Amino acid sequence: MIIHYLRQCCGIIALTGFAVLPACAADRFETGLWPAPLTDGTRVNIAGEGRAVATLDGNTLTVSGDFHGLKSNATTAQLDFGIAIGALGPKAFELTVTPATDGTISGTAKLSAAQAAGVRSGKFYVQINSEKAPDGNLIGWLLPPHPFPGEDVPEPGHGFLPQLDIAQH
Amino acid sequence: MTKKKIAVAALAGTVIAGFISFSAVGQGMAPGPFTAEQAGGGHTLYLTNCSACHGADLGGAGEAPQLAGTSFISSWGSRNTDELYNLVRTSMPYGNGGSLDNATYQSIVAYVLSANGAKPGAKAFTGAESIKIGSIANGQVPAAALAAQPPAARGRAGGRAAGAITYYPAGRLGQTVDGVLKEYRPVTDEMLAHPADGDWLMYRRNYQGWSYSPLTQINTSNVKTLQLAWVWAMNEGGASEVTPIVHDGVMFLSNTSNTVQALDAKTGELIWENRLGPRPTRAYGATRSLALYGDKIFVPTTDAKLYALDAKTGKVVWQSVIADASEGYSNTGGAIAIHGKILVGLTYCNRYETKHCYISAYDANTGKVVWRFQTIALKGEPGGDTWNNLPDEFRQGAETWIAGTYDPENNTTYWGTAQAKPWTRASRGSANGAALYSSATLALDPDTGKLKWYYSHAPGESFDLDEVFERVLVDHGADKSLLTVGKVGVLWKLNRETGKFEGAAQTVFQNLYAKIDPKTGVPTYRKDILDQKVGDWMASCPGPAGGHDWPATSYDPHNDLMVIPLDQSCVLMQPEAMEKKIGVGGDAGSQKLYLMPGTDGNMGRLTAYNTATLQAAWTLQQKAPFLTGVLTTAGGVAYVGDFDRRFRAIDTKTGRTLWKTRLGTSVQGHVVSFAADGKQYIAVETGLGGGSPVGKPTTLLPGLHHPGDGQAIYVFALPDE
Repeated sequence: MIIHYLRQCCGIIALTGFAVLPACAADRFETGLWPAPLTDGTRVNIAGEGRAVATLDGNTLTVSGDFHGLKSNATTAQLDFGIAIGALGPKAFELTVTPATDGTISGTAKLSAAQAAGVRSGKFYVQINSEKAPDGNLIGWLLPPHPFPGEDVPEPGHGFLPQLDIAQH
Repeated sequence: MTKKKIAVAALAGTVIAGFISFSAVGQGMAPGPFTAEQAGGGHTLYLTNCSACHGADLGGAGEAPQLAGTSFISSWGSRNTDELYNLVRTSMPYGNGGSLDNATYQSIVAYVLSANGAKPGAKAFTGAESIKIGSIANGQVPAAALAAQPPAARGRAGGRAAGAITYYPAGRLGQTVDGVLKEYRPVTDEMLAHPADGDWLMYRRNYQGWSYSPLTQINTSNVKTLQLAWVWAMNEGGASEVTPIVHDGVMFLSNTSNTVQALDAKTGELIWENRLGPRPTRAYGATRSLALYGDKIFVPTTDAKLYALDAKTGKVVWQSVIADASEGYSNTGGAIAIHGKILVGLTYCNRYETKHCYISAYDANTGKVVWRFQTIALKGEPGGDTWNNLPDEFRQGAETWIAGTYDPENNTTYWGTAQAKPWTRASRGSANGAALYSSATLALDPDTGKLKWYYSHAPGESFDLDEVFERVLVDHGADKSLLTVGKVGVLWKLNRETGKFEGAAQTVFQNLYAKIDPKTGVPTYRKDILDQKVGDWMASCPGPAGGHDWPATSYDPHNDLMVIPLDQSCVLMQPEAMEKKIGVGGDAGSQKLYLMPGTDGNMGRLTAYNTATLQAAWTLQQKAPFLTGVLTTAGGVAYVGDFDRRFRAIDTKTGRTLWKTRLGTSVQGHVVSFAADGKQYIAVETGLGGGSPVGKPTTLLPGLHHPGDGQAIYVFALPDE
């Protein structure tokens, strides 16, 4: 499964007598953006949905995406670097965001080697904040593309499980 | 004015006087955004609408958190009044959020604030005021807040409040419908070990916990013609996740209110009914299963009693007390009959007490207790050194939420245990100790209760991620295995004769364990989890809905596949401070939820695993979580229901959906198959309640709706030829 996703990232894996992971032209990552963090008390103010894609070319990360359905205008957006996939962490970079309930996000960042490794191992996530949810309104972890076949459509094996299908650096 | 209204009005007057008198409690803090009159009226409304679950003393019980004192302030001190109001308004009363008017919610929140030491102000609370709760309340409960209660409402959570609580069902308790089964073949040890194809005699049908029917009449070729044969409305009120039990064409059905019914399984005609009681509250569940043995039906009740009913008539033969319900104990996990003994577990052992949870066995003929096995290791006992030297009374939890399974060949019964309480290491003070025998598999001698071996799956668990669910017994030649999967979503495989670890597979995304030792199965937690302190928010995937929760697995021996319902959500958990004092206690963890990374917003996952290799065969994902136990059949069809009212038939080999329909409300409980007069039937419950597997999608998937009533049994069959 890891190989499957590396192929998606890099196009082809060269085998030259010993296994070589080639320098990828650009690695692609994507995520849905979902309301978070939610309680029955905060979901009055935390709602909406979105999507983000990112490409990592060398040490340059480019992010774009869109969102809609917020309960109040977006204020800021950021890339955060967590300690694990699904775990929260500090802000690493600011993104540009439309100050509205529907809009887009975008940004480009130069990463350190450690940050680039963090992106490849799924530890970076996108967070959009809003007026009524200044500490998080939409959130999503940037992971290799893992197309969802649709409801009622079974996938072979375990489908996509990040801890099994992403090489940890 | 009715007598009841006069009583409520008088009570309200007394309460308001009490609230005005204790306004000095919060001196030094700013006044709260509510009036004394509002808080006084809120007290009465609290007793009516909230106290049944949270306790008249606001002390909490089970999954209903404490609403006053150290734990409440630890959880809510840094949050604002509008968030508390929004939470109460959108989610309470449990299962019926938003059903009260805004003024009622405002008054109840005013009362809760005042009961935590906030002093009243000049303006009434509207819900819009956003004031940090820690700036107006200190968690010191004014004596007047409890002294103003009616005597019947005082005391522990077990003492249910007076007032206009809605009880189900209406009408009297006791034997409410008389009838006699014309013929009833007593259930023998042989029948339980080798059940007739058309029977479903226990929770997971066989002692091995397979939930597999050998019936073949409904198969992959004809299941698309499945149609409703009959439906039977069940008691409302309280969580209901039942397993219909079927013997010789008679269905025995447990309802809320500990109501037991005998129905003609072919037609749905009622034969007899006994409403044992007590009546439930909204969070008070029905037992998951009944047990049959000899000429009796055994009913473990939500008030921690065990009843034996005459199977022919439903009349009570004997009654035994498992534990004192007035102290909060309960049983919803059902029972298993082994060698003329009825084995039951115990739940809600989460308060600091000198007593602890246990598994116990009762003589089927007399009700006399035969043995008890305490699931908490105390000081000086084997395993007693795994609690960081905590005094015995502060070692709680390790409930048994589901009846065990049994291997007749080696005469061993297998039970899972829940997590230690409070939930987090930081709150309970158990450091990195394993807190035995929580989150473990226990192998017991069913005749004596003696422990043969144990295996600790999650030593020192800290996120409400217990390993308490079904233990499934599978043989591959001479290799005799036990498989189980818990909330972390790790599918564990043990040698069931020795308890030795044989392997593990990760069924959902998890980020708690940095690694699992491939030889021993011992997990290594993420370092920040080990360092977590009271007040620290920390992320965990999965969250408390699992991974895997009570919607049980099914094992298809023909395909060697275990089909597992799974949930995909995560949590931020904050340990709360917990006062070390007898009578105090609880879960003590605040939660914020989010969808699991890599799932595209799909909370529902159903995966089939080959039990020999632990390799996944197929996976089905969808937005709504699957909420029934799975049924597999020799016809090659698996059945499962979900939160979004869908009930479907799946090709067990491929995961392809072959048939589906939509029912009245959330489809939950445990699917069974049986035969009557040579015809195969499929039965499934629509039900409500059910803890985190229902509560978490209610929060995370607000776009999915189902009615707040509609508990029923639906029975399906092929059309008559």
